[in-house]
Amino acid sequence: MIKLNIQKTLTAASGKMNLHVKTTIEKYSLVTLYGKSGAGKTSCLRIIAGLLTPDSGSIEVDGKLWTHIDNNINLPPQKRNIGFVFQDYALFPNMTVAENLRFALNKNQDKKIIHELIEIFELGDLQFKKPETLSGGQKQRVALARSLVQKPSILMLDEPLSALDYEIRHKLQHYILQVHKEYKLTTILISHDISEILRMSDKVIELNQGKVVKQGTPDTVFNYKEFSGNIQLTGIVIAIQKQDFLYILTLQIGKDIVKVVANENEGENLFIGDTVILASQAFNPVIHKIG
Amino acid sequence: MNILKGKIENINSNHQLSIIYINVNNNRLTAIIIDTPKTSKYFKRGKEVQVIFKETEVIIGKGISHQISMQNKIEGTIKSINCGDLLCKITLKTAVGDIVSIITSNAVKQLGLEKNTLVTAMIKTNEIMLSE
Amino acid sequence: MIDWEPLILTFKLATITTALLLLIAIPLAYKLAYSTSKLKPFIEALVSMPIVLPPTVIGFYLLVVFSPSSTFGNWLNQSVGLRLIFSFEGLVVASIIYSLPFMVHPIQSGFSNISTSLSEASYVLGKSKIRTLFYVLLPNIKTSILTGIVLSFAHTIGEFGVVLMIGGNIPGKTKVASIAIYDEVESLNYATANTYSLILFAITFSILVIVYLINGGYLKPLNK
Repeated sequence: MIKLNIQKTLTAASGKMNLHVKTTIEKYSLVTLYGKSGAGKTSCLRIIAGLLTPDSGSIEVDGKLWTHIDNNINLPPQKRNIGFVFQDYALFPNMTVAENLRFALNKNQDKKIIHELIEIFELGDLQFKKPETLSGGQKQRVALARSLVQKPSILMLDEPLSALDYEIRHKLQHYILQVHKEYKLTTILISHDISEILRMSDKVIELNQGKVVKQGTPDTVFNYKEFSGNIQLTGIVIAIQKQDFLYILTLQIGKDIVKVVANENEGENLFIGDTVILASQAFNPVIHKIG
Repeated sequence: MNILKGKIENINSNHQLSIIYINVNNNRLTAIIIDTPKTSKYFKRGKEVQVIFKETEVIIGKGISHQISMQNKIEGTIKSINCGDLLCKITLKTAVGDIVSIITSNAVKQLGLEKNTLVTAMIKTNEIMLSE
Repeated sequence: MIDWEPLILTFKLATITTALLLLIAIPLAYKLAYSTSKLKPFIEALVSMPIVLPPTVIGFYLLVVFSPSSTFGNWLNQSVGLRLIFSFEGLVVASIIYSLPFMVHPIQSGFSNISTSLSEASYVLGKSKIRTLFYVLLPNIKTSILTGIVLSFAHTIGEFGVVLMIGGNIPGKTKVASIAIYDEVESLNYATANTYSLILFAITFSILVIVYLINGGYLKPLNK
């Protein structure tokens, strides 16, 4: 279990912000840090990783103090046994894919893990390539594999999927869930995508202006509701038009745009950019084969 | 959305499908769902559920006796009618609470619907969704 | 026949200076690139001084400091037996100071241009700062290092004022090519001066062309 109680004054473009996060993260759980950009998510992750030193507070992991500012304790990142996937992947350009993984090995560590990870992440064909020749999704897989070489107990991912397109995203979500279970990880990731969070996370910590504004299961944090309709999608409102007592909503669901009619009192409470659930009975849609 | 609160009275499952009978203020509504008590934890007798259906799926019949395949029939009187060019929004006062229906303005004219008219609101079984 | 000694001396000086500069500049550039200290601007200004100061100013102060009559020069002479005035060793020290910015600047900007996440990724993987420097940072700033090496080398070949002030004109010890050219012109030996000049011109020109070719990506294999 990770017990976190950290405080740091951050200087952002909009001025000074006081980051104060107090929370606990269960062992083996998958936790998402959620919030607008500039809310302090990345700083929070970097503090846990030891890449940033908080002004005050403490981090306790499985009963061991990683950070305790009052007692002058702050383990360097090298001593925390964590996996970290950076937003820009941070693959070493001078090394091939396999060399990137091998570099991560500890002294005297069995090289077997490299083969295992190459297998899991399907990197066989890529192992002799340099990172600059890889696509975004491939880089992400390498970064993820590299972060697991040392068999960390905690895996942290800074917006791992935001730069990828929809299908690759889906595949990587699957990879992350797979290694999360297989390697018994405690995983902390940053995400903006509510449907992704609902699918993956055990817990959501929502930050705003450096403070925890909500935390709990994704269902409670996002006011999620399950309908028996069997068709349930999350989308983003991209247009709202009113006609008589009806609202015509244009939603973006994944890469598709759909239009939906909503009632007056439903439409009144919606704004462009809101995330919504779209539910329908399984009996209504018609299916037409295209490929 | 029309949302009514009810209690699951009975469940009739066959393979993937279930027909669920819900008691809403002593009116019986039915819903068909691709789920069974095995696949969904909240389909249990006695469970409190929300019965959800869209206004545009509510059919209005004048009077109370219809020979029709609809399973969900709720009698009521018209509380208000609000018409646009093409569509009208009708609010009914019924034993299970207010129900809103959106039908075409033509239909309102043809049936001669007005305030206090006695009508039956009907919803097809497959248009009803349940939620906790 | 020209006397090759000044040319050989020039390249010996340039090679030794560049090699020592590399050892000094990498840690210095590393510190400057990642430091947030308030002293940083002052150190940066000091490193850059040789670019703007007349070489004679540097030569003059080195002469004052290294002179056996000064405390420091005397101490050097007494304890280590090192005379830095009118000696080859003195020329090396002076050249290192004189060419310092040409080695430090490219390497420092190389370090600054590398995404910080690369070194952070290495730290998170449990690698020490030294290991990260040698296996992650330096291999990825090869072109910056090469630029530094070539510029310092070429710049040392071209120095004159500092050498004249501190080294004098001792054949085989401190009489480098640039001094020899000056000497020949003084003695009205234009033909010999021209030969020296042409050789220096050709060599420094080729060196710079190679740098621009590499940095412009024309020599791909070296760029990797």
